[in-house]
Amino acid sequence: MALATAQDLESDSLLSLSQAKVGCDFQIKLLKGPACDQLRKLGFCESLQVRKLADGRNLICSVCGTRLALSRELASQVMVAVA
Amino acid sequence: MSGSLETVALAGNPNAGKTTIFNALTGSNQQVGNYAGVTVERKSGEFFTPHGKKLRLVDLPGCYSLDGGSPDQQIARKVLLGELEGEERPDLVVSVVDGSALERHLQLTLEVIETGLPVVVALNMVDVAESTGIRIDVQKLSEELGVPVVPMQANAGKGLLDLKQAMRHPFPVPAKADWTPEERQKRVLRICETAARRRDSYSATLTDRVDAVLLHPIFGWGFFLAIMFCLFWTIFAIADIPIGWIEGGTEVVAEWVSAKMPEGDLRSLIVDGVVNGIGGGVLVFLPQIVMLFFLIGLLESSGYMARAAYLMDGIMAKFRLSGRSFLPVLSSFACAIPGVMATRTIDSPKERLATIFVAPWMSCSARIPVYLTLVPLLFTDMTSVQKTLIFIGIYLTGLITALIVARLLRGRMGEDKVPNHFLLELPPYRAPQWGYIFRHVLGRAGAFLKNAGTIILAICIILWALSTYPKTDSEDPAEVLAHSAMGRISHVVEPLVKPLGFDGRTGTAILTSFAAREVFVTSMTQLFHVEESEDEDETLTNLQNTLSAATWPNGDKMFTLPALLALLVFYIYALQCLPTSAVVAREAGSWKWAAGQFLFMSGFAWVAAFIVFQVTKLFL
Repeated sequence: MALATAQDLESDSLLSLSQAKVGCDFQIKLLKGPACDQLRKLGFCESLQVRKLADGRNLICSVCGTRLALSRELASQVMVAVA
Repeated sequence: MSGSLETVALAGNPNAGKTTIFNALTGSNQQVGNYAGVTVERKSGEFFTPHGKKLRLVDLPGCYSLDGGSPDQQIARKVLLGELEGEERPDLVVSVVDGSALERHLQLTLEVIETGLPVVVALNMVDVAESTGIRIDVQKLSEELGVPVVPMQANAGKGLLDLKQAMRHPFPVPAKADWTPEERQKRVLRICETAARRRDSYSATLTDRVDAVLLHPIFGWGFFLAIMFCLFWTIFAIADIPIGWIEGGTEVVAEWVSAKMPEGDLRSLIVDGVVNGIGGGVLVFLPQIVMLFFLIGLLESSGYMARAAYLMDGIMAKFRLSGRSFLPVLSSFACAIPGVMATRTIDSPKERLATIFVAPWMSCSARIPVYLTLVPLLFTDMTSVQKTLIFIGIYLTGLITALIVARLLRGRMGEDKVPNHFLLELPPYRAPQWGYIFRHVLGRAGAFLKNAGTIILAICIILWALSTYPKTDSEDPAEVLAHSAMGRISHVVEPLVKPLGFDGRTGTAILTSFAAREVFVTSMTQLFHVEESEDEDETLTNLQNTLSAATWPNGDKMFTLPALLALLVFYIYALQCLPTSAVVAREAGSWKWAAGQFLFMSGFAWVAAFIVFQVTKLFL
């Protein structure tokens, strides 16, 4: 219970990748949502660096040197903090 | 299948360079096939180690993980666990990873190690990794993973010999997987922390700068439309030249056979059935198919195709498809067969089925001769601009109907059990890999010749037989034809096509086109007893003259504007291609789906042609 509360508090202080500003570097802090496993397999793992390159219906970001285009719905499940 | 040869499997994420390594190792000594009962293409080949040991290499489908549900991932997992029927469990796995994206690619390597098989890691694209400031300690990486690691730059042929050395006997012992699946990700990060340090600061690459233009919300669309325009213009403008050569070659061969053989049924069969069938019905489509696939290969290899899918996602979403459906749809403009096969990259099973269902509505190259025969009959003295506009209208009619039907179909299918989100890797822009492109084009052209060619040839021979037998003593060609099986069939067909404005002869030509549309012009030439000339263009002009002069028994003109429009609409919509139905049955995993598609599209074509004829008749 304590762990869950700590996690909730942490996620409250974060912003999702869909909310993040284009051109900025972020660190992935938490994956929150039903597509977590899918995102992890594609390299969206906690503690990795991510840069948002373009916004829109689908946004583009760079993770570990790879450009990935992903839907806003997926991006909203990636919680990040400014690196 | 594999005999006594030991098997090496190549596993890795998409865009890791697996195919480049596969081609470099096996050279031309490779086979492409399909795993029985499933939908994923298999490639295998043979090569020798530096010690002269012959090994068999299997290229597994690119995947991000072994425990996913997509057909690609299932195949990879089943092969590695020895659970796939007809494929022996590999003796060694080469896990191909992109050195510049280790954090992402090592996850699959750990999963492969967990299978308990001996593993060699091919650390590809070390040049890219170095240029982006990543320092990889290969020795450390090898120690951490417990398997040999070979640094490579596969596209330049560097490291291939080292990789072959690493595959020598005895194979490395399987590494111990002392982590649980839950710990896998942390393990990857720890390995990267110790063996591959990434520069913290991000510096914009050339790809970023190019993407800023090509994916720009406004300019990006300008480039996209310009690229698509160039693609179709090139196909139509340049393909005419080799088509002329093929037509000329067919005439030469037909003349040569005619001169060498005595007159009779056998000569007629070989010249009219076989030579004209192969030359005029099969080979003549090859230039456009080859050209479209060459250009698509160029766009794919350079990295633009993924951008096109990204741009198109918004439009496709309005029809409840995604950007991933764009490539199958584009490929279908050349031929629906590779288009249907290209749907394999679509994750959502329902979207995949919807795309397979509507792909044959794109106007493929087999419809072009039909359009070329009918369009000049629609309006006499047309300018080239008018002709082009009509052609664009025809293409758009097919495309727009397909998208609307896809939307309705997706609406009826409901949502996927597992939600599928748009997620696409945008590879860096690269110089085209010519070897890959030429192999890709050769493979596609070969598949067309094998799949479509054999059926079209068979139809041409059957057509010849139907219009030749049973024979009559009469010398009048019209009577000969009326007496033949084809002439009799046309009487049976007539009531079905009369509401569309056609007579029994046109109905028979439509009927023969149900196996392959390419035979429409040949059938019409035979049924309307058009004088065939040595020059194909002259034959076409003769056919057009005959058709515009054709009348009903009461003296009314037969090919009126409403009838021609109805015929065009029928050819836009009807699924008249047996090879496509066969491929759809295989890809959709059910003959029912293929039969349903065939019946729906044929019924749709009939109703659409009926409406067009009956409505336009009132006004024109």
